[in-house]
Formats: sequence, C-alpha cells, structure tokens
Amino acid sequence: MGAWEFYAVVLLVYLGTNLLSVWGLNLQFGVSGVANLAYIVMVAAGAYTYGVLTLGPDTGNGGFQHYVIGLSLPFPLAVVAAATVGAVVGVLVGLTGLKRLRQDYQAMAMLVVSIMAATVVSADTGLLNGNEGLSLIPNPFADLDPELGRWAYVGVVVVACAAGWIVLRRLTTGPMGRTLRAMRDDEYAAAAIGKDIVVLRLMVQAVGGAFAGLSGALLAAFIGGWSPSAWAYTETLALLTAVIVGGMGSDRGASVGTLVVTILILQGVQFLPQIPSHPGLTEDLGWIVLGSLVILFIFLRPQGLLPERRPSYAETADPGMAEVDAGRRDG
Amino acid sequence: MTAARAKPILEVEGLVKRYGGVHAVDGVSFSVERASITGIIGPNGAGKSTVLGVVSGFLPPTSGRIRFDGDDVTGEPMHRLARRGLVRTFQLARVFGGLTALENLAVAAPRQRGERTLGVLGGRWVWGTEEPGVVGRARRLLHTFGMAASENEYARNLSGGQRRAVEVMRALMTGARLLVLDEPMAGLSPALSRQLEEAFLRLVEEGLSLLLVEHELDTVERICGKVVVMAQGRVLSEGRMAELRLRQEVQDAYVIG
Repeated sequence: MGAWEFYAVVLLVYLGTNLLSVWGLNLQFGVSGVANLAYIVMVAAGAYTYGVLTLGPDTGNGGFQHYVIGLSLPFPLAVVAAATVGAVVGVLVGLTGLKRLRQDYQAMAMLVVSIMAATVVSADTGLLNGNEGLSLIPNPFADLDPELGRWAYVGVVVVACAAGWIVLRRLTTGPMGRTLRAMRDDEYAAAAIGKDIVVLRLMVQAVGGAFAGLSGALLAAFIGGWSPSAWAYTETLALLTAVIVGGMGSDRGASVGTLVVTILILQGVQFLPQIPSHPGLTEDLGWIVLGSLVILFIFLRPQGLLPERRPSYAETADPGMAEVDAGRRDG
Repeated sequence: MTAARAKPILEVEGLVKRYGGVHAVDGVSFSVERASITGIIGPNGAGKSTVLGVVSGFLPPTSGRIRFDGDDVTGEPMHRLARRGLVRTFQLARVFGGLTALENLAVAAPRQRGERTLGVLGGRWVWGTEEPGVVGRARRLLHTFGMAASENEYARNLSGGQRRAVEVMRALMTGARLLVLDEPMAGLSPALSRQLEEAFLRLVEEGLSLLLVEHELDTVERICGKVVVMAQGRVLSEGRMAELRLRQEVQDAYVIG
C-alpha cells in the first residue's frame, strides 16, 4: 500500500467525520438559528467518551496516562454512547440560551463555555490526561491486515454518513424543517403561532450534539488519540466557515462547504513548502484564508455556494372556487 | 346557544403591569364578546400595547386575572395561548423572511403530524397525506386576500401591506378564535386599509373575535362594536365610538395626552 493510498483513506475519514459535524452545526445554526459557538465541545465529548469507554483501566501500559472509567467496551457500544453523550452535552450547553438571550449574547455565552471546557480538561490531568490527551485509543479493525482495516474503517464512516444524511433530511425538510426555519427567522412570531421555542431549541441541540459526538468518536478511533489541541474553539470557526461558504441552511451547501474548507483549504495548505525562518506559517495561512473567505462570502455571496432552495409545493385543487376555510374548524 | 357560549371570549380583571416603579398598566378590566371587534384607543404611553402584550402571553402580568373562553390563562406563555386559539400580531409585522408566503401560512397549521417525533422519524409516510390539506388551506387564504400570485415569493421581499396580510392570514391558519392585533392599519394605504377592514368584518361574521389597538379613529368607528379608552395605564371610558367622541374626559385625554 502506497503512501498516497494511505493519504486517500485519511482524507476520506476526515471528510466523513467533518461532514457529520458540519451537518449538525448547520442544523443548529443555518436551519434553526442557534449560534452554537461551543459546537466543538460536543465533538470532544464524543471523542473522549469513545476513548475512555474503549480503553482499559488507566493502570495498563505502565500507567503512563491517567483518565476516568476505562471499560474496554466494544466499538459499536462506545460509538452509540459517544453520540448520546454528545446529545446530552448539547442540551446542557443549550440551557444557557433558555433565558431568551439575544442571539449575539447567546453566541458569546457559548464561546465562553467552549473555552472553559478546554481549560478544565487541560488543567485536570487525572480526568482525561490533561494537555497530553488520550493516546492508544483502540481502533475496531486493529486485528485485521492494516490495509484492509483502513478501508473497512472508511466503510464504517460511509455508513455513518449515510445514516446521518437520512436523519438530517428528515429534520430539515417537510413540516419540521419549515418550523425550524420559522424559528430561525423570528422566534417571537414562531411562539405567537404556537411553536414551543424551548423544546425545539433543545431538540436541535440534542440532535446536533449527537452528530458531533458521533463525528468525534469516529475521528478519535481512527487517529488513536485525542487531546485539547484537537478541539480548540477555533475548530468551531472552521466548521462555521464551512456552513457559511457552503450556504447557511442548505444541507447540500454545507456538504460542499465541508469539502472546500476542511479538505481543500485546511489540508491543501500543508502541501505548501515550509519556510525555515517562519515555522508554522503555512498552517496559519490556512486560518488566514478561512477568515478572508468568511468576510468575502458575507459581503459578496451571503447565500453561499449552494443556497437554501425555495421549496415547491404540488398543485392543489382549484383554490379559487373552494369555500374559504379560515381554519376555525380546528378550534 | 348555551350559557358558556354566550360568555365573553376574553375577560380581563384588574390587570397590572409594572416595569420597575412605573405602572404601565394599572388595574385594567374589560371583556371581548364573541364574534365582535373590540378596540383599545388612547394617547401614546397609555399602556395599550402593554395590555395586548400581557393578554397574549408576550409579557407576564404583575397581577390581575385573564380568562380565555372561561379558562384562567393568567401568565401562560404565548405559544400555549396560541394553541388555545388566542393569537397576536405585532406592531411591526413579523414574517418569516426566509420562507415563502405560502410557507409562512403552512407553518402555522396547528398540530401537524410532521412536527412530532413520529412524523420526523417516519417522514413522508406519516405526514404526506396531511400536507396537501395544509397547503390547500394556505392557498385558499392567499386567494381571498388577493395574494395568490405571491405564494412563492420570499416573505422578506414582500411589501409592508403584504407582510401585514401574511401575518393576519398566518394567525388565521392556526385556527385562532381571538385575534389580538397591534395597530393592524399602521403604514397601510387607505385602499389596503379598507380591504383589511372588510376582511375583518367578514371574519367576525364567521364567528371570529378581534381585539385591536388602533390609532386611526375612523377605522375604529367603522369596525369596532365596543371601544375601550385608556390613558395613563387605566381605563378611562368604554362604549361605542360615536358616543365616546362626545364625552369630555375622552376629549381631554387626547388633548392633554
């Protein structure tokens, strides 16, 4: 197996896990208007959950890393648990918005949550091995031939994405999609026609959180490690850029945005030659490009590459002739 | 007609709303009869919009009692009142800008299967049969309000008058029995305003009740059965507009206020 084939597998797994998290964020931010700047915390919750559930007790391997739990659970169980924890953390983070905070204040509150979570995890070395992070996180196909195992893992990611896409479309199309977009456009007007904003918002936090948790678990199992540097709050901004560039509220747009931002740009800059006198410059260049893209798109193409589509409704029988029913029959 | 039917659809008793030390509403009582239009008028700062806000669940009351259709609904939040059939519109029309005119109406249909967990999980299998009815009802409303041609226009691109109409139609889609309207005629041309008046009168004939705050007194005189005059957070007077015009305290409130 050549280096290129290995790299292709890496890119596919990155693309798949990023798709899952961008879809979840687009559901929250693009479709429902919840500016969740703590999104990466839910990804991390999934990754850590997967790690501590699949690793054995931390006395193993000479006790070189310290963490809680350590159950040696099998892959499927741990992944489901990770998605569940992601959903729970999503709901907890969502509770900060229940005081009817304005969207900008809510975004700030969530950003603070994100920074606080990273600080706590880094500082408490006994919890999740602090800044060093977890390593030797088990891969489900460790016993297979390495090449076969890698492609098998790509298969798992593809299945997860397919399932995620179906769930996502169920929420963003049809009556539920309409209701969520109404809440995004004006939550007071939505409440005035009977929508329970609190319930809807927490539901979106839970589902988006589950997407994030699943994404984090699949990524951690593939890399075999997870540490605070993997979930700095700037990672949320990268996901947010994918949503904005792709097209807020558009599932297809978010997918294209993921490809452009997390693969073409953030992976692409790594092929630029390093400049010895300025180490790390090329990585920073990636972030500079992302920042510029957000500004460019907001000014020149706010609807994104593939905008939210105007829905079409089938013809209904002769609206002009029918007697007008103002709807009070339902009362 | 049973006794319960004959009772007013809305009864407000001793309503108080304080902001800090300011009594925005200071012991207001009135009622709205079924299938009628009740107007609230008064000078700026009289507390009219605050009354609407509290009645519709947008603001919590400091004290007092609100009964809707015989049930005590004091302090219930807006979405619960809307589900009971009490729906408000806003002084500045609030539409869902990213939804089309048709969707703005369709989203308001009550108890849609597609909004429940089962509907989301089951998808079209669960809600597909219900949807044509919802869309059809929305189209009929658009047609009666002369907006059939705009059904696919995004609400953010509609004119002020059309937005107002969308808001009213959306409220009707919910199956509302009492519409609470905050200055429905504000910013409308006289022609549009007349059209909306006629629509209101038609809806009242069909059994709907309306409570509205309005500055345009000629409109109030034409459509309101009963008018409540407010000044400085209190009810000053109550009756038909033609009589109220003659009362000294009403004239004073408008001159002084």
